[in-house]
Amino acid sequence: MKRRIYGIETEYGLLIKEEDFKYGPIDVAVRIKNHIFDQKQGVLDLHYRANDEPPGNGGFLANGGRIYLDMGHLEYASPECSNLVDLITFDRAGDEIVQKALEELGWSEQVAFIKNNVDLETNATFGCHENYLVSRAFQFDNRENLRLLASFLVTRQIYAGAGRTGACNPQPFRDWDDIHQTRKDEEKVNFQISQRADHIPNEFYRWVQYNRAIVNTRDEQLSDPSKYRRIHLLVGDSNMSEFACALKMGTTSLMMELIELGVANPEWILSNSVDTMRDISRDPEFKWEITLRDGKPTTALELQWGMLQAGKKYLAGSSSDADWVLEAWESVLTDMPKGPEALIGRVDWASKYWLLTEFMKSENVGWQDPWIKSLDLEFHNLNKAHGLYWGLEANGDAHRKTSDEAIRFAMSSAPKGTRADGRGELVKTLLECQTGYLIDWIGFRLNKEEPFLMLDPFVSYKKEIQEYLRRMDLQEPFDGKNYFR
Amino acid sequence: MEMNDPLRREEKKESTPDRKDDGPSRPDVSRPGRDDLLKRMKKVDPKQSEKYKQRTGQ
Repeated sequence: MKRRIYGIETEYGLLIKEEDFKYGPIDVAVRIKNHIFDQKQGVLDLHYRANDEPPGNGGFLANGGRIYLDMGHLEYASPECSNLVDLITFDRAGDEIVQKALEELGWSEQVAFIKNNVDLETNATFGCHENYLVSRAFQFDNRENLRLLASFLVTRQIYAGAGRTGACNPQPFRDWDDIHQTRKDEEKVNFQISQRADHIPNEFYRWVQYNRAIVNTRDEQLSDPSKYRRIHLLVGDSNMSEFACALKMGTTSLMMELIELGVANPEWILSNSVDTMRDISRDPEFKWEITLRDGKPTTALELQWGMLQAGKKYLAGSSSDADWVLEAWESVLTDMPKGPEALIGRVDWASKYWLLTEFMKSENVGWQDPWIKSLDLEFHNLNKAHGLYWGLEANGDAHRKTSDEAIRFAMSSAPKGTRADGRGELVKTLLECQTGYLIDWIGFRLNKEEPFLMLDPFVSYKKEIQEYLRRMDLQEPFDGKNYFR
Repeated sequence: MEMNDPLRREEKKESTPDRKDDGPSRPDVSRPGRDDLLKRMKKVDPKQSEKYKQRTGQ
């Protein structure tokens, strides 16, 4: 497996459980963000990052990641990670940072963080964004590459989906579109395997809100643009299972590598990826029948087997991560025909489906009972005393990829082997200083000095930053008026 | 690689799939822990989904 930089951005949902709670979800998000920075876990931005990101809207953390407010959601961006264990550890560290803040504020019984991607009542949706650093040679103007990636992303939901009850029935996604003919009648959907499938109307597009695409083509490298491309995907679901998240990111990385090597098979391309995405997600029998571009019928499972075989042929032995992914991928595809119970703890939709169907049998209720929607949400509750996923973990059914000890460490320490390490050093130093600063993913600037650039995400820059900081007067008070020349 | 760094230790320990046993079994009505999970589920407010008022994000 090629060296990769991975990152995950999570937009958290906030459930205000207590009827008369003094704050609404947006106020709660603001206060939790403020609490995290008041506790000196990071440094707030002193500058505008965008029109809707004023100073104080968010900031970088001592672990190299970021917490900020975005479109009414509290969002955590993991630091750049160079392997899957670090990625899962630092993703979970974000969950722990926000949950700990909730508990410290004394609100953990009245408010819950829900790590999902859809409001089941209003169908508002919010994202889990995956970031992969690839070489600049990965061509985005080669539509065959993008179609191959789309075929993979559409079919990976059979193990990467987090599942949801009900559906967001068709709306014309774009003013110039009709509703798809076959979807004009309201489909009755009890359960689907993906949270996001109903919200992705395009195969390729660069927007990140509403007109979302299976392959987001926004070109924002956050690194040296002559060497790298950052593939920023928003098609996937937030995972509760560490195994599922590692498998999702790991298989996607392998698929990108097959494309980069030029060995991805064009016969894998789907006839209509957008419709296929929703058809797979909504299939009540989990047959996941699909049609390829050449008209050949097959299934999502078979297509994934083909991709796995190519991965084994070209990438086996290339790294310990690649070998873990190939073995885990094969184990899941092998067990998939056995049904959801065989996948508990490794595939989120399957865990959720099993829990909900067991509950329905026990309580003699059906899919349309509002309790089922509420349980769907509770699967994603980050509070370990209540959340259903944590019940599976307590039961020994969670397949872990990291440990609680490592997650605690990652709440305040940056990952090694990437520029996040240097950034973490910078943030820890700034927490003790008065100097003015401007920090971004690609570098920083202190007072009126020239910017310190960190264009290569594979370089930690830690020693250089330590040396740079030693030369600076870090007690010079911040002069906001004259800082941004 | 520093041995006192729990992340590094974890990475080394967890470099292969987590379970090496025979894998999950076929459906079993008496799956261990099922009753505890059902108890946890019964405590959930049946109407809490109506209280979840989120804005569309990205």
